[in-house]
Amino acid sequence: MTTDVDTAPPRTRAGALSLLVLAGRLVLGGVWIVAGALKVTDLDASVRAVRAYRLLPDVAAQVLGAGLPVVEIVLGVLLVVGLGVRVAGALSVLLMGAFVVGIASAWARGLQIDCGCFGSGGALAPGESPTYGLELARDGALLVVAVLVAWRPSGRLALDDRLGTPKGH
Amino acid sequence: MASGTKKSPNPLTARSGPARGTVIGIVAVVLFAGLVGFGVYQAQKPADVVVPPNATAAGVPVGNPAAKATIDIYQDFQCPACKQFEDMSGQTVDQLVAGRQAKVVYHPVAILDRTSPDRYSSRSSAASACAAADNVFPQYLKLLYANQPTEGDPGLTPEQLTSLGQQAGAGPGFAECVSSDRYAGWTASLTDQASKDGLAATPTVKVNGQQVQNPTPDALRAAVSAAQA
Repeated sequence: MTTDVDTAPPRTRAGALSLLVLAGRLVLGGVWIVAGALKVTDLDASVRAVRAYRLLPDVAAQVLGAGLPVVEIVLGVLLVVGLGVRVAGALSVLLMGAFVVGIASAWARGLQIDCGCFGSGGALAPGESPTYGLELARDGALLVVAVLVAWRPSGRLALDDRLGTPKGH
Repeated sequence: MASGTKKSPNPLTARSGPARGTVIGIVAVVLFAGLVGFGVYQAQKPADVVVPPNATAAGVPVGNPAAKATIDIYQDFQCPACKQFEDMSGQTVDQLVAGRQAKVVYHPVAILDRTSPDRYSSRSSAASACAAADNVFPQYLKLLYANQPTEGDPGLTPEQLTSLGQQAGAGPGFAECVSSDRYAGWTASLTDQASKDGLAATPTVKVNGQQVQNPTPDALRAAVSAAQA
């Protein structure tokens, strides 16, 4: 275990868990940052992607589509630097849960769309079929990671620790 | 360290959870981020949309206005499947229009800017509006598809777009119209409208509002003749 620069090698289950949570935090945060960055340069496309789900009234689709990319970047940064990890994790759970519901509903209604998760604007590429199963599996896995991070926010390499912010334990 | 050794029944409400100030602060930062995104989106919306002559806010109508069938074609000049549709069914559309059985409304949407390093979807659509203004839209459309850039490659330059316009028979003002991107706002607004109307992919072809799933020449002719009744 040479990755652990902060403390002595973990010998307990708790130590292993906190390393696992650190990894989850970095993965989840990284995905948020990438997803947000790919969408933030074309907010029109992001709004179109939300509209493609045909779930929300148009004003809500505009607010969500335009707001989401920036929210994702901020959440990602918070998780990666470890600031307010438990709250950022809980918000990630809500958001990822909403994505899972949205994709599942698009699948159930037989919509021919792309999830728009990484900036494709919701339109399928020519000749492409929807890949709802894959998208659901990915977001489901990330949802589990988010739950883990919210449940046991790790102080490892987190700003929360340096600032003395209470982090739950 | 040693986190997770104590059991707490509900981590979110337990006394040892994050301070209320932290929760409010983080949530406020995240909500504010969303507001910033929405603000930028609102600010980017074109302030004044100039609709080109011979066009409407939604697209470019071509053909006999009294024709019983209306073919709506949603297409993006950067989209390979749209070029395939044009190669396969473009002539049929022209014949139906020439035979006065149908009119066409072309909706040159721009939804593929992300596949182009220089926003070719948007630029080509705005240039096609210049062609509509000079009454040479159908000719220009064919030239744009014949010269379609590969996805990921740079699009046609304003000079190339202009010389295709001259080939199509556009007037002397065409070069200035293209280089000033005069109808960029029209492109943005008709793309937004198409998305509000549920457009999910290009090409999308409708006859009298009914989508033709596989718009082959035969399927188009059948849909148009069904609309004559």
